[in-house]
Amino acid sequence: MTTTLPFDGIKVADFAWIWAAPTTSKYFADHGATVVRVETESPPDLVRTVGPFKDGEPGTNRSHSFGDFNTSKYSLSLDLKNPQGANVARRLIGWADIVIESFATGKMDDLGIGYETVKKLNPSVIMVSTSLMGQTGLASTYAGFGFHAGAIAGFYEITGWPDLPPDGPFTAYTDGVAPRFLAAIMMAALDHRRRTGEGQFIDASQLEMSLQMLAPQIIDYNASGRMVSRIGNRSRIAAPQGAYQCSGEDQWCAIAVETDEDWANLRSAMGKPTWANDDRFSTTEGRLSSHDEIDKGISQWTADKSPQDVMEILQVAGVPAGVVQRSSDLMRDPQLKHRKFFRELEHSEVGNVPYTGHQFRIKGYDNGPRFAAPMLGEHNDFVLRDLLGMTDDEITEIAISGALV
Amino acid sequence: MLSPYTVLDLSDDRGEMASMILGDLGANVVKVEPPYGSSSRRMGPFLEDAPEPENSLQFFAFNRNKRGVTLDVTTKAGRAALLRLAEKADFVIESAGPGEMAKLGLGFDAFEKANPSIIYVAISAFGQDGPQADYAASDLTLAAMGGPMSVQGNPERAPVRLSVPQAWLHASSEAAVAALTAHALMIQTGQGQFVDVSAQTSMIATMLHARLAHAIQGSDMERAGSVLQAGAIELPLVHECADGYVVLIPTGATMTGMVPWMVEDGIVPEEWIEGEDWATYDRRFLQQQPVVYALEDVFDAIRRYVLLHTKAEMLDRGLRDNVTIAPINTVEDLTKFHQLEERGYWLMAPLPDGTDTAVAGILAQLSETPLDVKRWAPKLGQHNHEILIEMLGMSEAQAIEGGATVPQE
Repeated sequence: MTTTLPFDGIKVADFAWIWAAPTTSKYFADHGATVVRVETESPPDLVRTVGPFKDGEPGTNRSHSFGDFNTSKYSLSLDLKNPQGANVARRLIGWADIVIESFATGKMDDLGIGYETVKKLNPSVIMVSTSLMGQTGLASTYAGFGFHAGAIAGFYEITGWPDLPPDGPFTAYTDGVAPRFLAAIMMAALDHRRRTGEGQFIDASQLEMSLQMLAPQIIDYNASGRMVSRIGNRSRIAAPQGAYQCSGEDQWCAIAVETDEDWANLRSAMGKPTWANDDRFSTTEGRLSSHDEIDKGISQWTADKSPQDVMEILQVAGVPAGVVQRSSDLMRDPQLKHRKFFRELEHSEVGNVPYTGHQFRIKGYDNGPRFAAPMLGEHNDFVLRDLLGMTDDEITEIAISGALV
Repeated sequence: MLSPYTVLDLSDDRGEMASMILGDLGANVVKVEPPYGSSSRRMGPFLEDAPEPENSLQFFAFNRNKRGVTLDVTTKAGRAALLRLAEKADFVIESAGPGEMAKLGLGFDAFEKANPSIIYVAISAFGQDGPQADYAASDLTLAAMGGPMSVQGNPERAPVRLSVPQAWLHASSEAAVAALTAHALMIQTGQGQFVDVSAQTSMIATMLHARLAHAIQGSDMERAGSVLQAGAIELPLVHECADGYVVLIPTGATMTGMVPWMVEDGIVPEEWIEGEDWATYDRRFLQQQPVVYALEDVFDAIRRYVLLHTKAEMLDRGLRDNVTIAPINTVEDLTKFHQLEERGYWLMAPLPDGTDTAVAGILAQLSETPLDVKRWAPKLGQHNHEILIEMLGMSEAQAIEGGATVPQE
């Protein structure tokens, strides 16, 4: 088991907020980098003001909308509009290998820490500006959230029922998509810098990165004029597929028949009911055109069984089936337990709470978030003194100026 | 940026985007397919609706910046050729499922023996081991077991997934991050790494702040259609407009710009403009502090205004007045969004049928090492000659024995 971490020694000045950019810098923090999250009390990061709050009690340091997205980071509270605050920001930029920000386009320039200044302070820095629409173009100042980008990209159009207005994906879908692309880009830029000493500016649009998730459908429209829309849980190429209601309150199991063999196995697992013994159902085309009828039959079979039982019976038969799991189910999931996915960490205000772990495991390295999310301004002294090497007098002067809020 | 590195992509539709990302970032990617082609070549949408291996747009979209060879790894010659390629490679990415590669004698051990510093990334539904590692999975069941379905969809109906498959794309993009993280570790230790990526956990990530709701607040979040659940406040996100739907919430900036529009249309009286400090309206209603105009009246005004106007009209006017309105775009609407054109996002790609078509562009704009697409998806076995015969020095007979059924010049 190695104790060396992938990003040991890498320093990140993190001017990000909400979800997308903090998730991106979290990859570096969790894997060894020293990441200083710059934030302020006035106003706090929006996600500190929305739940879920520990025990349902609101509070700046109680939100897991912030916490689970900011593990292994240090928090510096800093008023960037205060001249002393701006000075500290410049010191931090000089210290960093990577600067990441996700303010509205132009805000970093207004604060006097746009890329031209950053490059002068730190010529080999990698600076990342990420926003919904990118740093250039008429829409670059578009100040939206991941659900706005999700609508523009086309994810709303494809989520929900064909006879109803679109439901859209849960909340800010592109905030869950973009960080992976951006983290990979930044890791490549870091490797390039390690080999060549060259830093650079990265202009990353959440919309543009997210469109990779619809790449075949975009080509299909451009080539043939065909457009995708929402079709509930059905597939265009296989049937039956759906979430089927089970016993208990609002309990569901997803079942996905992908081949004729899956269908035969499903039929056997259900005890070969007579309704399913219909020649029309022996081909994909037949099942696609009789989907409603088949759904009715499957629902009758699942109605008196728990979703867990439905999943297990079908998995024994080799049919793809999975419980629609809520957050409480995930905590009990045996596979996630086996992977030690959730990690309990001691938070300075709310105590021991679980955090989501990593989606990948590197053999011989127990990777997971290293320490709990910070309270707002929890590490002011550590950052100024230990990381930036400031003296007591300097720190006092900055504190008196009112910059550390 | 990654030009010193070579990636062997042994994956199928469940992992192809991982090496595409590394290729987009400059890596030299060799896609190794079985002689009958990757599974994604049999997945639609298909060009001209013709399900031929060279017509799959799924394959075309996620295999750019790669050269392609065919090897039959069930043969000794095919395995030997693959391990020789591995000697020159830095990364191997596979998605065959737990233990499948090891059964062929091509597990991590075999690759590590050929190349002690190799980064071997295995993408699977639930991870390489554990009680459910061998469960059958599909996009739908992963969306269920990973959690996002529980918070998606109309509460009167079943939970829903996105109706374009996403799970393996989430896992693949996570695998690109995993590969580079493990590589950063290898740079320090010199040791090869085995990396185990789980698609189920990559779906959990997309559940955002709902993923730990029960453990933190004592209750799960539930599906609520298109309503945004912001603590105690629920905000309808989707509103019907003259030609479809838009997403819109009354943030401070949006209301500041939009109230005058509503006055102009006679939706609300003129006193609304001065009657409220609109810039701080959202922070006050989120924290349940006093507001002059109740949230339900504001939403009612928004609904009535939006019904009178089109998506494109409101988006354009919004861009001028700092009003954040998002049209619920079809693919057609998206292709007309001027911002993407202005930034040069769309790339023209030669499709296998000889026509040129706009496709999703580069991942981001970089000042010193601009990204580009050097080559589009390879035809089956397109680079067999170049890689197997010229690079590895195999004879044509050896290449054919190894599964390179159509060595091409």
